[in-house]
Amino acid sequence: MTGIIATLVAILSLIVLGIPITLAIDRHARGPLLLGTSFLYGSGAMSFVMLALSIAHLRWTLIRVTVSALVVFCAASILAVKKPAGAQRPQPLKATIFDAGTVLTLTAYALYATLKSLWDWDFWAIWGLKARVFLEAGGIDWRFLESRWNTFAHPDYPLLVPLTFDFIALVNGGWSDRWLGLPGVAWAAALLLVVRALASRETSPLFASLVTLTLAPLAVSSHLGCAEGALIAFGGAGVLMIRAALRDGDPVLWRHGALMLGFAANCKNEGLALLVAVSIGVAVAGSRPRATARLRRLWPAYALMTPWLLLRLTHMLPTDIASGSPLSRLIARLPQAHEILAFLVMHLHEPWLWLAILTGILIAPAASRRSEGFVLLVTAIQLCFYVAAYFATPHDLHWHVLTSWPRLTSQVAPPVTFAVFLMLAKSLNVGRTLQSNGFRT
Amino acid sequence: MTLRRALIVIALAAIVAMCIDPRLLLMPFVDRAPYARALEGYPDRQWPLYPRFLEGVHAHTRPGDTIALIVPAMRWDNGYLYAYYRACYFLAGREVLPLVDPQNNKLQQNFRNARYVAVFGVTLRTPADVVWKGEGGRLLRLRR
Repeated sequence: MTGIIATLVAILSLIVLGIPITLAIDRHARGPLLLGTSFLYGSGAMSFVMLALSIAHLRWTLIRVTVSALVVFCAASILAVKKPAGAQRPQPLKATIFDAGTVLTLTAYALYATLKSLWDWDFWAIWGLKARVFLEAGGIDWRFLESRWNTFAHPDYPLLVPLTFDFIALVNGGWSDRWLGLPGVAWAAALLLVVRALASRETSPLFASLVTLTLAPLAVSSHLGCAEGALIAFGGAGVLMIRAALRDGDPVLWRHGALMLGFAANCKNEGLALLVAVSIGVAVAGSRPRATARLRRLWPAYALMTPWLLLRLTHMLPTDIASGSPLSRLIARLPQAHEILAFLVMHLHEPWLWLAILTGILIAPAASRRSEGFVLLVTAIQLCFYVAAYFATPHDLHWHVLTSWPRLTSQVAPPVTFAVFLMLAKSLNVGRTLQSNGFRT
Repeated sequence: MTLRRALIVIALAAIVAMCIDPRLLLMPFVDRAPYARALEGYPDRQWPLYPRFLEGVHAHTRPGDTIALIVPAMRWDNGYLYAYYRACYFLAGREVLPLVDPQNNKLQQNFRNARYVAVFGVTLRTPADVVWKGEGGRLLRLRR
């Protein structure tokens, strides 16, 4: 089997695995929402299947992984069938000319992502390296992660992305980094499908497709083979699902959002920070139900986050930011706060986009701003976490900012762009709710 | 149209315009071969033979083997970092032992503990058997 076919088969398998999981969570999911969440759940679930096999000391083989995934598939299918279908069904989405633009963006990204074998430094020093080492070991190689010579590979980073690469390698029959840009395309497409479905719930097809097209270049990560693409997809989908849940009070959206955030926490440490930011946002934003009840609805996220946290504690995997005394470094840098912040502003990625977003927030009516308070707050908290990490970094601060700040800001860009876009569109009174069109409220 | 509505329209248009990436959108309509050629050797542009040398080392060693690494740049930030990280990727399953740490301290114990020494781009004078030679380097088994 050639590499590209194996990779496409693996991605298709993950979608198929994710369909019953999506339906077990949301019996009404159809169209873009079903397709998008299916790949997200499929890739997330597969990483947990491989993690579980590794913890059970069962060497990864394609047959063993397939059988384990089939067990998940069957269990989810039974749950989905048992779920009452109900009477309400969402109407099919109406395509517009802007959807063609989104497809063109994804096609262009797929061509870029498959130009050659992956070339990003972080791919072969972190994400691809771990995947390749684990594949050789037939499971997670704790000796490699614990070795003091391998701290450069950030052993504490969660493993959803390397484990996805390993699944593809198993389908391929061996390691090849030639087509590993394709899962990044699939994660981006999944996020855009979710965005399209969520936007259609609250605005016209034209604006829903336009906001999806606007988000398309933000959903595609230029850091191919790294965890950015998966984090943007899971984190973006999670924040937007929780935003919709806070608006509609829909328990299905709460479950979707919490699970997506849990998987985001399994992509990168920034995903863990995002879950904390969302928890604060959920506690503060909204009025009904009570804050504690809202936070309880995030339990699937905490449940998904816990295994890796326990494993990295058990294996004492070091975190570079936490090495030495982060607090003393943070305090020592406080007197240079204005210089550091100026440096961050100077090296902001896509500064004109951020300026447009900021302007949009300022000129929108106060009521619209309040209605998007959750996403704005989560974005602000997450950015504060990033800035705090720079103040506490044990590395050279300028080097750390230059090598990570664009990536970090790109992670938070999709949800805030979505929120500000819809806030402005609704302020023009051109958006129309589709609640009357049969969507659940 | 009120001033606020006009500003909102401008802000919306600005957000859409700022998000569009013309270079990406042109990708299906341009000759991608030059891009592919540029990216092909991008990670190893300083030492083009190095990946093939590491593949040779991989082929002549077994999982679990310990391999120390000697390259022309033996200072961490001056090339050893790249050489070591790259070796870890290509020699997955083997244990690559660095001979220099990030502070440029020499790690003699790693040289002593290694079963093999992969020497790329330089000559090493030490009692050792040549296991494999090619692609600008040699794989040596140290005599104990």
